[in-house]
Amino acid sequence: MNRRSLETEIGEVTLRNPVLLASGPAGYGLEYEGLVDLERIGGVVTKTISFESREGNPGKRLHETGGGLLNSIGLENVGAEVFFSEKIPALVDAGIKPVVSLAAEDWENYRMLLDATAGTDGVDIIELNLSCPNVERGGMAVGTNPELLAKYVRHAKDTLPGMTVLAKLTPNVGDIAALALAAEEAGADGITAINTVIGMDIDLAAGRPVFKRIRAGLSGPAIMPIALDAVWRISRTVDIPVVGVGGITSVEDAMKFFMAGAAAIQVGTAVFYDPVLPEKIIEALEETGMPGPLGDCNRMKGAG
Amino acid sequence: MKSLFTGRIIRTQRLSPSSHLVVFERPRGFPEVAPGQFVALRITSTITPLLRRPFSIMDLTGTELHLLVKVVGKGSDILAHSPCGAEMDIAGPLGGTAFPSPGKKDAVFVAGGTGLAPMIFAARTWKRDRSLGRAALVYGAGCEEELLVSLCEEDFAAVHLATIDGSCGFEGDAVALLEKLVEEGKAGGGMLYSCGPAGMVRAMERKAAAGFARHLTSLESVMACGVGACRGCTVPVKTDGGTVLRTICGDGTVFDASEIDWERWEE
Ligand SMILES: Cc1cc2nc3c(=O)[nH]c(=O)nc-3n(C[C@H](O)[C@H](O)[C@H](O)COP(=O)(O)OP(=O)(O)OC[C@H]3O[C@@H](n4cnc5c(N)ncnc54)[C@H](O)[C@@H]3O)c2cc1C
Ligand SMILES: Cc1cc2nc3c(=O)[nH]c(=O)nc-3n(C[C@H](O)[C@H](O)[C@H](O)COP(=O)(O)O)c2cc1C
Ligand code: FES
Repeated sequence: MNRRSLETEIGEVTLRNPVLLASGPAGYGLEYEGLVDLERIGGVVTKTISFESREGNPGKRLHETGGGLLNSIGLENVGAEVFFSEKIPALVDAGIKPVVSLAAEDWENYRMLLDATAGTDGVDIIELNLSCPNVERGGMAVGTNPELLAKYVRHAKDTLPGMTVLAKLTPNVGDIAALALAAEEAGADGITAINTVIGMDIDLAAGRPVFKRIRAGLSGPAIMPIALDAVWRISRTVDIPVVGVGGITSVEDAMKFFMAGAAAIQVGTAVFYDPVLPEKIIEALEETGMPGPLGDCNRMKGAG
Repeated sequence: MKSLFTGRIIRTQRLSPSSHLVVFERPRGFPEVAPGQFVALRITSTITPLLRRPFSIMDLTGTELHLLVKVVGKGSDILAHSPCGAEMDIAGPLGGTAFPSPGKKDAVFVAGGTGLAPMIFAARTWKRDRSLGRAALVYGAGCEEELLVSLCEEDFAAVHLATIDGSCGFEGDAVALLEKLVEEGKAGGGMLYSCGPAGMVRAMERKAAAGFARHLTSLESVMACGVGACRGCTVPVKTDGGTVLRTICGDGTVFDASEIDWERWEE
């Protein structure tokens, strides 16, 4: 059978296919050696890094819910220096395409992080995590304010000429499409949607919240309709590519994201239990091709 | 090297009201493993339960993979009651460290609950390769019904039992029993291996462990990736420069118990 080429252009970058591992679950990539054929994947979005290393949140960090997973990792990461000197070269040597996820902490740290990113061999696409719900400062604050978000995106484009910049958005806002538009106007090459949905749970026996920080980020199939809706609305608002993420657990789910307007997709939580899902999606796309977008379907528009 | 396998259940046995032996046919190509390593099972092909469930390897022979499964929720319930012939997706072997062999020295193994599984595997492995001196098991459970005595009778030279309600053996937990044995001069000096609830291991490290050359423990935590990627199962470990977080699934499961920063570890 003739296998279709799945090459996907985002900004200045051509990915070998539009199926990526999502930031966080993917770790620094190589942890999955033996379980995931990492060279086959369109790209690995590495764990969000901050300029300084971070220890993350104390106490319990994971909790399964109905069809979902709450996490309170708190952006634990090795920091820019170790990341760019050790993790990236190892990925590149292994033939794996890195998409580097950067934290938008306070302005000073963000600027230093971009400076550290500049000139790293093998990095031509970054994803700005403007949306982490698990940290005190930065992240969500930047990602929920269109002016701040635009400022951060613009600075990345100015500091890193030729770099393809994705802006990753949080669904924990009133109008995610407005934020996507602000990112596009500031020069973003693509939008990634969505990060986790804020949620909480209570340990009945202990009589207290499950997590120390009480609120945590929900991922997995429970959030897929929210993610699909976000992708659909964003792709009708902006002209830049949209990378869909949130709750994809099957080939069919992935197809729905492409139909809703995604140019590429990411798999996060599902990799934990089905590490070969990204490869299954790639195979299906090679066989059947990318499903066409829905177009301006009235039935869908009228919903709600 | 870890990989994905399809495992077929060939035998299950109810050992107590809540604990079951689940025996898989050893999947083709499943590598040799070391005591303290584990597998992560995809219990169903649906999304409930969502995450894989981790289980210690209790034995691996040329043809069989043994797990000890205590029913505590949905995943363990489905696994324990799966029919013979059922197939399950197994990721493994996982865990970056394993129990170091006692090098012919005497060893005391302390197990709380299903922590028995890796203790049995260690004793069996080292007996097979003749690297174990005298092996004693100190094993505690809630009550007599939950003590899986038949499982461990043959693997240890001595078995010391404890139950919280005093229905069998020493009344109290495994830690109190260990302390008593050390005080009476009946245990100590050699290697100390443990697996069980964090509270148990912490209490051992505070007192009884001082009587041994080294205390090595296999830790547990809720897990998602099982391979050190998601940072969901971290434990604080003391180093020269302070405390660093290590993953139980990737950097463990086995740690030198004296290196864990017990004050800071909240599960
Ligand atoms: C490395 C490792 C080795 C293990 N080895 C064994 C073993 O040999 N035999 C065995 O019976 N169990 C073992 N466990 C524990 C086992 O993984 C859990 O009991 C199981 O995942 C619970 O799943 P469930 O769906 O039945 O329960 P759930 O419905 O998910 O949870 C029920 C209760 O169990 C608790 N729980 C959930 N996951 C864990 C966990 N990973 N560790 C401890 N408590 C948990 C929950 O907090 C909850 O209170 C091991 C865990 C780890 C991390
Ligand atoms: C354990 C865990 C850690 C995560 N860490 C990050 C992170 O560091 N940066 C980020 O942008 N998103 C992070 N995410 C969010 C995912 O990238 C993704 O947006 C979200 O989980 C929804 O996709 P999913 O349902 O496929 O997991 C994390 C998610 C999980 C479950
Ligand atoms: S479970 Fe993901 S790091 Fe241990």
